[in-house]
Amino acid sequence: MSAKRKMTRRDFLKTASMGSLGALLVAQGLPLAAQDAVINIVSSGADITSDPVTFRWIDSGDQKAVFWNAYFAEYMEAHPNVTIQYDALPWNEIAQVVPLGIRNGTAHDVYQRPLSVTLAQAVNEGWVAALDDIIPDFEAWKASFPGGVFVEGITGFNGKTYSFPATSNKRYGTHLLYNVAYLEEAGVDPQAGPMSADDFVATAKKVTENGAGRYFGFIMGGNQVNRWGAIVREFSRMAGAISMSVGNFDVDLSTGEIPYTNPLYLEAIDVLLRLRDDGSVFPGTLSMNAPEARARMPQGAAGMILQGPWNIPIWLRENPDFDFNIAGQPLLDPPTLAPITVGPGGSNEIHVNAAASDETKAIAGDIFHYLGTYEGQVAWATLVGAADPAIFAEAIAAADMQPLERNALLMFNEQVRVGPSQIVRNADTAAVNLELRPVTPNLAETVQGIYTGQIDDAAAALADLAGRADAELDRAIAAAAEKGADVSRDDYVFPNWDPYQDYGEDKYAEL
Amino acid sequence: MTVAQQISIGAPIQHSRSLRQRIADNRWVYLFMLPSLVLTLMFTLYPIFASFYYSLFQWSGFTSAPHYIGTLNFSEVIVDKQFYNAFKNSFIFMFCSVPIKLSLALVIAIVLNDRALRLAPIFRTMFFVPVVTTTAIVGIVMTFIMSPFNGPINMIMLDLGVIARPIDFFGDPKLALYSVVGVEIWKWLGIPMIYWLAALQTIPASLYEAAEVDGANWWSKFAYITVPLLKPFAVIIVLITAVGTLNVFALAMTLTGGGPYFASEVMEVYIYRTAFGAANSLTLPRIGYACAAAVYFGLSVMVMATLQLFGARWANKERAGMSAAETTADGE
Repeated sequence: MSAKRKMTRRDFLKTASMGSLGALLVAQGLPLAAQDAVINIVSSGADITSDPVTFRWIDSGDQKAVFWNAYFAEYMEAHPNVTIQYDALPWNEIAQVVPLGIRNGTAHDVYQRPLSVTLAQAVNEGWVAALDDIIPDFEAWKASFPGGVFVEGITGFNGKTYSFPATSNKRYGTHLLYNVAYLEEAGVDPQAGPMSADDFVATAKKVTENGAGRYFGFIMGGNQVNRWGAIVREFSRMAGAISMSVGNFDVDLSTGEIPYTNPLYLEAIDVLLRLRDDGSVFPGTLSMNAPEARARMPQGAAGMILQGPWNIPIWLRENPDFDFNIAGQPLLDPPTLAPITVGPGGSNEIHVNAAASDETKAIAGDIFHYLGTYEGQVAWATLVGAADPAIFAEAIAAADMQPLERNALLMFNEQVRVGPSQIVRNADTAAVNLELRPVTPNLAETVQGIYTGQIDDAAAALADLAGRADAELDRAIAAAAEKGADVSRDDYVFPNWDPYQDYGEDKYAEL
Repeated sequence: MTVAQQISIGAPIQHSRSLRQRIADNRWVYLFMLPSLVLTLMFTLYPIFASFYYSLFQWSGFTSAPHYIGTLNFSEVIVDKQFYNAFKNSFIFMFCSVPIKLSLALVIAIVLNDRALRLAPIFRTMFFVPVVTTTAIVGIVMTFIMSPFNGPINMIMLDLGVIARPIDFFGDPKLALYSVVGVEIWKWLGIPMIYWLAALQTIPASLYEAAEVDGANWWSKFAYITVPLLKPFAVIIVLITAVGTLNVFALAMTLTGGGPYFASEVMEVYIYRTAFGAANSLTLPRIGYACAAAVYFGLSVMVMATLQLFGARWANKERAGMSAAETTADGE
């Protein structure tokens, strides 16, 4: 799975844009319209206006932007009267721009919903249009997606669909990415089998010793506080402390309890403390964010990082000489490898603005329709890769994808399962989400405080956190019930949850 | 006749006119003030009243209908440990930054005020360049300059043998806040320097010349001429700088984000975190709660602004006294 590479379409596009198009065409023998080969604009049957129209789209960008920039260029070429304005913004800006735009009537025609706004709230507020009336041949289109993508309570209400999860959420953001040369020098091959946490700590120490101050064993963006929580949470979950996110904390949905007093959390934190005490952590980790940490890896600053698949296309594109590879997150208690569980539906939900004009709604329907075709999914998988996986498994298989990205997706397929959702079980629990307040300090902040030595008693801090999260969940449920929601703590208990299996409709029916 | 005497003679005539007549007489003054007044109303007064209004609601900023909850946000803020931590950090920040910044600025201003220093304009510009540099850019660049891994500051100190191990200025909870203070002082030193320079230039050169004739040395001139005559200005400069030092959002966010583990979280970062910082989590922002915290903080800053008002009045009186003394001296 090493990162030695052949020329790909992405390389071609990038290099061509740098001005050496003609020479490359001759040298590589590539077709002139390489991009056309990936994206073909076909009519969905939508009634696209022939009048000049501006269509606006906003999402969180990242690797998605690679697809949309290419697609929108093709779309505008096919529809010269359509001007597409694509804005890729970070989530915290989406959280401000989208609601503000909706309130003052300037919202984009298609947008991603701020993470903290539930679909129920967006529907109740009249923000989002039902896709049933917008996407041509809607029922057939919807039926083309695998089961579990469109879920009542998650993507729609009362038989109407308001949300399109553009990508699969079967991925996690703390798998191992490593510098092949450094780990070979340390005599470690993560491809030989799942690495234990002990091996992980020992490898980091060995790499640091080999680096002699020039490079270190482990790096992370410790200034981006959520990284501390993600690493500890996934260490614990893969060792069996199963949970799902509720508000800004976790709940073990098999029991309805807060899991932070599970000793696995302390064990996970101990891994970080051992790395720190060994001097294996890159200096300055506490004052750099995740993108900075990611950027340091190809510079040879560290041997290992626990991050997500979105790094792969970035490194391949920007650091073609960097020899790296991926593996699963090290295991606290091998061979125990409990799957990471994600919510039902998908990821990167996109919506059509209810206040958009009929002309732009038709364009949105046309574009959404493309993503429901095999060709559209193959194009997505080819251009976006593992960062935001395509939904159709057969499209992933057929896509022109880097081996590293394909391997990441295969790994996620093995290690990620769909967990239960209280909202699918009882849509009224969406009202609880509206009442939930952030618990502060949360898991991530607490782990950071333990790591920096500002918190002495880790067990007591985790117990305190569990108590505060428990009280907040009770308070939010009571507040929602007081406003008329039919909810209780029982909605958060799924005794038949087996984390090794996807939690499907049959499981909900058993409750 | 002094200007003050002229004004006092003219004053009864002014007061005998009606308010409408006086406004009509000074209509151009009011017209020119109008743009600034409108902007102040829009961007200063309205947000103040809006903050208080929203602090009485439970509101995420997403819905069209905030839910009225009275003073619940205020009672919740007042028992929040993180609020007190941020409040304390803001004032630690101020008490560390202001004395150092003003002292350094005064020293630099005195040196630059010396007419013998031919290159004074160049040095003045150099000290002022950080002021006009974008704060967020300064913050990001400083994280590299002060990085414990190959950061120039650590490298120099290591080479000089001042330290044995690199210092993580922004990652060490004991140092993070003070490191931000250090960058803030460097960034904003030029402002009080300009204030001091303006104040120093009001001191008549004749006083120094007379002192020199009387055999006064540098220290005597500083202690018995410069300091007393700067005192009225100092009150204003201290208060303006102190209030300004409470507004360090951009630097704090870019350098530490308030971390590690709230060690450098100042009030503005706390307000931002509670208002918008939860955007990446699955909980809703709490605009009302953040507004309640902002109201508490605003009140404390208002107390300082009131002090500034009294200080300004005292300074005006002092200056009037100085002018009268100067006029008397000139007359003699």
